[in-house]
Amino acid sequence: MAPPAQSQRSPSPSQPSGKSEVSDLKLQLRQLAGSRAPGVDDSKRELFKKVISYMTIGIDVSSLFGEMVMCSATSDIVLKKMCYLYVGNYAKVNPDLALLTINFLQRDCRDEDPMIRGLALRSLCSLRVANLVEYLVGPLGSGLKDSNSYVRMVAVMGVLKLYHISASTCIDADFPSILKHLMLHDSDTQVVANCLSALQEIWSAEASTSEEASREREALISKPFIYYLLNRIKEFCEWAQCLVLELVTKYVPSDSSEIFDIMNLLEDRLQHANGAVVLATIRVFLQLTLSMTDVHQQVYERIKAPLLTLVSSGSPEQSYAVLSHLHLLVMRAPYVFSSDYKHFYCQYNEPSYVKRLKLEMLTAVANESNTYEIVTELCEYAANVDIPIARESIRAVGKIALQQYDVNAIVDRLLQFLEMEKDYVTAEALVLVKDLLRKYPQWSHDCIAVVGNISSKNVQEPKAKAALIWMLGEYSQDMQDAPYVLESLVENWDEEHSAEVRLHLLTAMMKCFFKRPPETQSALGAALAAGIADFHQDVHDRALFYYRILRYNVSVAERVVNPPKQAVSVFADTQSSEIKDRIFDEFNSLSVLYQKPSYMFTDKEHRGPLEFADELGNLSIGEAANNVVPTQMVEENDKDLLLTTSEKEETKGSRNNGSAYSVPYDGSSTSVFASQTQIESAVSNPTLAGHSPQASFAIDDLLGLGIPAAPAVLSPPQLKLNTKAALDPSTFQQKWRQLPVALSQEISVSPQGVAALTAPQALLRHMQSHSIHCIASGGQSPNFKFFFFAQKFEESSNYLVECVINTSSAKAQVKIKADDQNTSQDFSTLFESALSKFGTS
Amino acid sequence: MPVAASAIYFLNLRGDVLINRLYRDDVGGNMVDAFRMHIMQTKELGTCPVRQIGGCSFFYMRISNVYIVIVVSSNANVACAFKFVVEAVALFKSYFGGAFDEDAIRNNFVLIYELLDEIMDFGYPQNLSPEILKLYITQEGVRSPFSSKPSDKPVPNATLQVTGAVGWRREGLVYKKNEVFLDIVESVNLLMSSKGSVLRCDVTGKILMKCFLSGMPDLKLGLNDKIGLEKESQLKSRPPKSGKTIELDDVTFHQCVNLTRFNSEKTVSFVPPDGEFELMKYRITEGVNLPFRVLPTIKELGRTRMEVNVKVKSVFGAKMFALGVVIKIPVPKQTAKTSFQVTSGRAKYQAAIDCLVWKIRKFPGQTEPTLSAEVELISTMAEKKSWTRPPIQMEFQVPMFTASGLRVRFLKVWEKSGYNTVEWVRYITKAGSYEIRC
Repeated sequence: MAPPAQSQRSPSPSQPSGKSEVSDLKLQLRQLAGSRAPGVDDSKRELFKKVISYMTIGIDVSSLFGEMVMCSATSDIVLKKMCYLYVGNYAKVNPDLALLTINFLQRDCRDEDPMIRGLALRSLCSLRVANLVEYLVGPLGSGLKDSNSYVRMVAVMGVLKLYHISASTCIDADFPSILKHLMLHDSDTQVVANCLSALQEIWSAEASTSEEASREREALISKPFIYYLLNRIKEFCEWAQCLVLELVTKYVPSDSSEIFDIMNLLEDRLQHANGAVVLATIRVFLQLTLSMTDVHQQVYERIKAPLLTLVSSGSPEQSYAVLSHLHLLVMRAPYVFSSDYKHFYCQYNEPSYVKRLKLEMLTAVANESNTYEIVTELCEYAANVDIPIARESIRAVGKIALQQYDVNAIVDRLLQFLEMEKDYVTAEALVLVKDLLRKYPQWSHDCIAVVGNISSKNVQEPKAKAALIWMLGEYSQDMQDAPYVLESLVENWDEEHSAEVRLHLLTAMMKCFFKRPPETQSALGAALAAGIADFHQDVHDRALFYYRILRYNVSVAERVVNPPKQAVSVFADTQSSEIKDRIFDEFNSLSVLYQKPSYMFTDKEHRGPLEFADELGNLSIGEAANNVVPTQMVEENDKDLLLTTSEKEETKGSRNNGSAYSVPYDGSSTSVFASQTQIESAVSNPTLAGHSPQASFAIDDLLGLGIPAAPAVLSPPQLKLNTKAALDPSTFQQKWRQLPVALSQEISVSPQGVAALTAPQALLRHMQSHSIHCIASGGQSPNFKFFFFAQKFEESSNYLVECVINTSSAKAQVKIKADDQNTSQDFSTLFESALSKFGTS
Repeated sequence: MPVAASAIYFLNLRGDVLINRLYRDDVGGNMVDAFRMHIMQTKELGTCPVRQIGGCSFFYMRISNVYIVIVVSSNANVACAFKFVVEAVALFKSYFGGAFDEDAIRNNFVLIYELLDEIMDFGYPQNLSPEILKLYITQEGVRSPFSSKPSDKPVPNATLQVTGAVGWRREGLVYKKNEVFLDIVESVNLLMSSKGSVLRCDVTGKILMKCFLSGMPDLKLGLNDKIGLEKESQLKSRPPKSGKTIELDDVTFHQCVNLTRFNSEKTVSFVPPDGEFELMKYRITEGVNLPFRVLPTIKELGRTRMEVNVKVKSVFGAKMFALGVVIKIPVPKQTAKTSFQVTSGRAKYQAAIDCLVWKIRKFPGQTEPTLSAEVELISTMAEKKSWTRPPIQMEFQVPMFTASGLRVRFLKVWEKSGYNTVEWVRYITKAGSYEIRC
């Protein structure tokens, strides 16, 4: 029976000084140790409680070890438990003293009360002292054979603990095989579950060195064992069910009827009260049907309701975890939740981490039919008290605008934001309006009218200021006082702390100068002078470059700095589908919350982005092929396929150099400027000391594209390809976006070719022997997708090919793009003949 | 790996350790310091419940004035971890009798250590079912003096085998009087625009049961939900009865419910655990009966005066009444003076939350009391920006009313000894997040 509250409260840590209390306790314990007086257990309890409470708050009470052990000779189970806790905590730092406890723990392991046996065994294994492991083997062995399931359950975990202290002792004692036997035959499901946890850990760790262990690990996901667990799943406790379900996700059923069997068996798990079980079941369903497009869609429909329930029930932390998963799903299938958008409306009192995810969900599910409601709701949040959320919601409106076709209403809303006269709202809205104008230049008239009314003095945030300056430069002919606004900004050059803004100011002055020379000339001079004197290297270099190019030739300068622009069609996604797929494979884990695959955050070495990118680069060809990509996804993935590889280049090469220039276009954190002002960036790159291969390629582009009237090179009669052609992925991607399709045709694939095309690699090797190189590939039977490139012999003229092969129809859809359009026909012939030889040689 | 927690900490708001339980050696001992340094003492606190610090991930939850922190070093299952914490807290509560806060933890820390030992081993969650834990836990919680139940139950025999088909119920229970209490508790969430259109509305309901039944009874519950009724009329091949049927969007059940039978026959049948438990949870979005309508008009008269008129209409039956109705009407920060008139209840200005708080203890159905207030503001130069109006929030409880319209049609108890049982059914609807923009 517990003593009254007051007496317990006394040892509560009211800042004890430590030393004197500890020695006091020592004395008292010593007095009680030998005593057999009635009521001694109660006094001991009080003392033990004090010791434990000191231990909890971090006072070192390890000096009492001897006394505690002496007092532990008791039949009182509460005392025992406290003593075990104490011993477990300090044994590691006092290995010598820990030896003292072995004796009484071993004795307790043979107690007639199964609870004491279990407790003692658990404590014995929790000592974590390497040189005491020999004492563990005996009690563990008998614990595993104990008639009481509680003891067995504890013993199983004990084996795992032993393994972590001394793997060799554990293996030598042959414990894994005993566990395996228990796992298959024990009547108690908790024992089975613990065996499963322990064996998974042990065999995974051993698999790298022992073939047997890796075989055993494979056996865990074999059909008989999985069925054994599935048939008993209802008997397991909820946590063990999660464990089993997680194992089932690794199982690969042999055919579709098996998949349906498993899903039917597990369907009722979706109604389990424990959200963790529901999520684990959802993961099983998603993984099982990955290769069955139709069923996969049905699964999305089926899991919708349980997921929405999980979002709205439970603590905010739980909602947060579930919303992260919803977000992952909605990125793969936006239509699934598009009619349930109201579930993602924010409640006033929700914590901001939930609100933020809900905003992301609202952005992701927006489509033609619900955009109006969603944007209306988001506009409500713009006036939110929570400023970061208000900002996020404005950004969300912008993102929706950029992903929709009909932006009429949204533009009006954005412009209303500008009139709200709140600094942060104006700032966010300016950045968005700028992005919007880059995608939809046709709105410039409406936007400029409003933007013109904004006083640059009210805009302080660098990003917003840069956006405003960009618009002033870009649309200076439509904005009456643009030159004067810019001029006043130049006058305050020294007060401008952000280099980004100063860089923008230089460019805007140039643009303004080309459009309205007389009004701008003197200010431009001042800007260039200030820029050249600037301490910031990039600003200095750009100013100098502008100055020199202006001196060289003003019309060339205009062509360089202010070329006619194409609207941006797609703002690139920053995360590759490769990574997204990996995260999806790790559904229901931390990866989803961190939005990165587990190896990026669990590996001990903490790999930087560099190594990671390298590895990805190596994987992109091999892995993409092995990855189970549902056929319908291929279409969406192709851009991302390219991005994966380009990312590598970016991180490896000129991230720093590039950033100085890419920043002005980096409107929102998730969208990276893709293709619009190719020339502009190409030219400025060298000024930023770009040593990367990209830069030199980009100059080629400039010469090739900037002067469209350049005479075409006459095609040689016979097309010869460079056998050692090289092209980095980012250049490929750039070119693929820029170049028009020169040729598009359908080629039949020979039956031998179809037969040989079991995996993308086979074709890659074949094409390489014809000097046609692959840059990215993916897909799964029957649909494969490839991106090839080739270079003309002794000339840096490239051919880019997108080739989609459907093996069931034996047809290949080929799209060819070429730097030199005149030779694309020749190349096509070459490509076709190369492809036709596939499988025959 | 489901959780594999390396350590669990309970901290108070100052960051003092109340409980610390290390399960695995793969994290250092200074994890509490890391948590205090990088989360508690920064603005990060409360911005995200999951954080990574130096290779370890921290999951934390605040429950009353306690932080519970789980540290993991692997790619753990987050949903599972949070659910575990929630369940563990519920378990602790059942031992302390109600509150879970710093004092309760300090008073019961030995018990908590004992429980933590049993519910998690080497970081893997073990059985949290209170029935089974009773066998292993020797201590009684220190209950607060206000908690009702005396703690005089006998310590059950530890060697009793509890596993098997009905893991949640012990055999051999005997009650003199066999009683079942069933509560349908609904919380209704509403978001209404200032123009009075419903932007979002749903009901999350749960059925709570308290069983004091002898032996191994079999219970069967019938509701007026659509699927159940349709199935029944199908089975009995007679046309469905007229009357309101409720379409449940999603249902989850306590582990005692036979889900196979639910899926085939659409009846909720179960062998209940002893004592209190949550039988099922459900969610409804269509056809919600809102118990209250709020019609606010807020006029800003110049820069220093505001006029607030709020009419609240109860739209449930005239014989019913709501209890504990609280309406919080936000006013600007620079409110100086307020004066009210209410036709029912009491109102006052609470500066701490910048709200006019209007309380009506007993609110009969089919009535519409009003509040009219005048608010005077201090004119400040800095606050030239227009006031962003937070929504009006409302709290209430309406007994014997369900916003979903869900009703219990029958609750049958079978036991082989054939005793008679007394069944008690109650309904109550509470406000979840009931917000009206103005």
